[in-house]
Amino acid sequence: MTPRPARVQLFATCLVDEFFPAAGHAAVEVLERCGIEVHVPPDQTCCGQPAFNAGFAGEAAAMARATIDALSLRDDPVVVPSGSCADMIVNHYPELFADDETYGPKARALAARTYEFSQFLVDVLGVELPASPAGPKLAYHASCHGLRGLGLREQPRRLLRDAAGARVADLPDAETCCGFGGLFAVKMGPLSGAMLESKLEAIERSGADVVVATDVSCLMHIGGGLHRRASRVRTRHIAEVLADPSRD
Amino acid sequence: MTEAALAFHRRIDAALADAGLRQALALTTGRLLGGRTAAFGALPGADASRDDARRARASAVARLDAYLDQFAQAAEARGAAIHWAETAADARRIITGIARERGIRLAVKSKSMATEEVDLNEALEHAGVRVVETDLGEFVVQLGGDRPSHIITPIIHRSRQDVAALFREKLGAAPEDVADIPAMTALARRVLRAEFLQAGMGISGVNVAVAETGSVCIVTNEGNGRLATSLPRVHVALLGLERIVPTAADLAAVLTVLARSATGQASSVYTNVITGPRRHGPAGPPNAGEPDGPDELHIVILDNGRSRLLGTPLAEILYCVRCGACLNACPVYRLIGGHAYGGVYPGPVGSVVMPGLHGVESWSELAHASSLCGACRDVCPVKIDLPRLLLAVRREAAAKQLAPLWIRAAMPIFAAVATRPRLYRWAGRAAARVARFLAREGWIRRLPGPLGAWTASRDFPVPAPRSFVDAHQARQEVSR
Amino acid sequence: MTSPRERILASLRDGLLRGRLPGHGGDLAGRATETPAAPTLAEMAEQFSAALTGLSGHVHRASGTAAVAEIIEGLAREHRAGAFIGWDDEYLGCAGLAAALAFRGLARVTYDVSDQPERRGADVQALAGIGLGLTGAHAALADIGGLVLVSGPGRGRLASVLPPVHVAVVDERRLRPSLAALLREEPRLLDAGSNVVIVAGPSRTADIEMTLTHGVHGPKHVHVILTA
Repeated sequence: MTPRPARVQLFATCLVDEFFPAAGHAAVEVLERCGIEVHVPPDQTCCGQPAFNAGFAGEAAAMARATIDALSLRDDPVVVPSGSCADMIVNHYPELFADDETYGPKARALAARTYEFSQFLVDVLGVELPASPAGPKLAYHASCHGLRGLGLREQPRRLLRDAAGARVADLPDAETCCGFGGLFAVKMGPLSGAMLESKLEAIERSGADVVVATDVSCLMHIGGGLHRRASRVRTRHIAEVLADPSRD
Repeated sequence: MTEAALAFHRRIDAALADAGLRQALALTTGRLLGGRTAAFGALPGADASRDDARRARASAVARLDAYLDQFAQAAEARGAAIHWAETAADARRIITGIARERGIRLAVKSKSMATEEVDLNEALEHAGVRVVETDLGEFVVQLGGDRPSHIITPIIHRSRQDVAALFREKLGAAPEDVADIPAMTALARRVLRAEFLQAGMGISGVNVAVAETGSVCIVTNEGNGRLATSLPRVHVALLGLERIVPTAADLAAVLTVLARSATGQASSVYTNVITGPRRHGPAGPPNAGEPDGPDELHIVILDNGRSRLLGTPLAEILYCVRCGACLNACPVYRLIGGHAYGGVYPGPVGSVVMPGLHGVESWSELAHASSLCGACRDVCPVKIDLPRLLLAVRREAAAKQLAPLWIRAAMPIFAAVATRPRLYRWAGRAAARVARFLAREGWIRRLPGPLGAWTASRDFPVPAPRSFVDAHQARQEVSR
Repeated sequence: MTSPRERILASLRDGLLRGRLPGHGGDLAGRATETPAAPTLAEMAEQFSAALTGLSGHVHRASGTAAVAEIIEGLAREHRAGAFIGWDDEYLGCAGLAAALAFRGLARVTYDVSDQPERRGADVQALAGIGLGLTGAHAALADIGGLVLVSGPGRGRLASVLPPVHVAVVDERRLRPSLAALLREEPRLLDAGSNVVIVAGPSRTADIEMTLTHGVHGPKHVHVILTA
């Protein structure tokens, strides 16, 4: 296990920053409770994933360089409350700058100290959270990039099991893509909508009150669908659940 | 959007509206994927087996010129005739030529995606050769005049009633012949048996060629591959030039993962390795040699754009063994099926192969019909990084200005803003104000322009009153 | 004036010179395959039997020509086969079988399919109605319940694919753990005949509505008689 750091940098990600700041605040709170000092680099913007996924390598590289710069002023580990953005930094930044003499080494160095939030809690800090038996029924949706790009299979589930135990319901097809896919949600709207339908049906079958994920991108898409159906099911980022496990 | 892309979107819409198709796809892909999961679960050293298979394929492609040459020479030494087809047209010309020169009027075919790719059947029919597909699913496809909808199980899109109706209409089948699936299968066997016995030529694809012995390996479950390559006097095998491994041990490595990935079987029923035509004894025919088998074996090596993929970011797709697992795992394929993709190869592999072989101009949109979830990569028996290849197609398309206008316009602006932190913070606040104006009780029900595709099926959340970074900074200031 | 072959090979060479082939997830030279401990004959027989039975094939154990002939006669009667096509005696996993079967009224139909187009059709048509095919096997693969059949003089292909019933008489000492193991022992096996086929159970399809049916084109009934 990596040695326990005293300080981390939080890379909030553009969606958390703009749409779900509560997830960011919760992540800070949980980390601070674990005795970690959290620094939020002020110059952070977007990791560039939307441009990268759309095939706009030049624009993606520009944003990646800016992100690398913002996160390399210090060499503290970087914690990201998003599997897909962490995957971008860890797996795609080194690839983007493989032949770049300046940014290649920087990208690799950054990738080596960047973690998704639940990955950091479990693999680096080894936290064991106290159980909170009271509260809503939770269902865990496994966001794709974290799951397959970072191997994030066990960590989020373990944290939820520790915190909420019997309240964690089984979500059928938890590892099937929700259909967000970034620009895919808009470019391939009908497909995205159909994949969302399947995910919403599975959520309904699970009987959960709250859908939890490591990525607010998925939650934005799932939540938008739930709201359109006037469902009572809410969405919550894993950091929010860990910060306040009993909250309804 | 290009005309081709628009047509693709229309086909997607049609497929999404077809509830029967959706159900059939769920059943078939579920079964096949479940089979795969179980088969790999039961295989000791399953992950290492995929590495071995990848190594077998990668080592061949890394020296493809040398191995193809070795293959050709070894096969010729055993009496096979080797033909080299640079294009689909060449393949058609060569094969129809072989048939015409020998006065062949009837050919039986064992399933081959490559022959679909080059539109062989039509060319043969024009040359006066009746072509009969013998794989049960392909036979039904042929009777119905459409195309296969899956690489391995061609008629997902057909119910048993569809098949019964086709058999009654095209074969004059009596009601008892189509009463149930065993009856229909028995009818197909009888009808096709007659064709096998009369045909002057058998045509097959090749699952894997082996360079060191000049062998071609054809796997089937039905046995039509064996009959088509053993009964007629002439056997023509169409080989995609990348479908090769160096040695017999490499073949075993690929076979270990092939059927398991395709259907969940530990092995296909018939793994048919052919090295040259029938062998005659030292005294020459008759009686001193093998009592049966084709007297002529023609192997047509097909390029049709494959060699051009080497040295490009798409080269890795040449490792593909056409098992179909990526189709079964893909949430998009499971919704729309094979026909929607519009080409011979559907699903994740098709979304790379079609633009790779036939150009991004007409086919790049396929690579956008993916959320890049990575399920395909998880199941690929040779560990091809399909999402990376899809991204490479997208990059090529973007570079050729094929992205929609609004995206082409927005990207540079987004990058310009996102690389200037103060401007980014300001723009975020401004955009949030605009969005809140459009919202009702925290949600937007209709977004303008192309973004309206989001709100067609879900609501859009309003941005927070204060961004995380702004709020965090404010808190830090307060606490100082 | 270059040939298509030369142009294709040149195109491949050009592409390879451009580089960029993705890694192969490990040492190209091959990792040391740890050969698992060799299973016993009894273990392989057990595994083979379980695998083939799971595929709706049948496995019989017998020793001596009489016992084997009796099984085959029984199968011929069950499936109403009056004659059989098959391999020469010396390639069956049991001596003197042809004579024993002839004695029991089961005649072998020998053939040599003509290489002349005009005669070939009649030659194969004559074999179409025969109800049983009898072969030996070069090897039996325990892991998949498969038989390795190598074509050659006296070992036709059609016996194991044309009739609806395929009976294979295999000396149990021909059992091998897997194809990989067999190939390590016999690296040139694939080239031993024009056709080397691995047959794992009866012919099957699930093309129509994923419903499994046997005996599509190849045999519906596969019986392996393992002889001691």
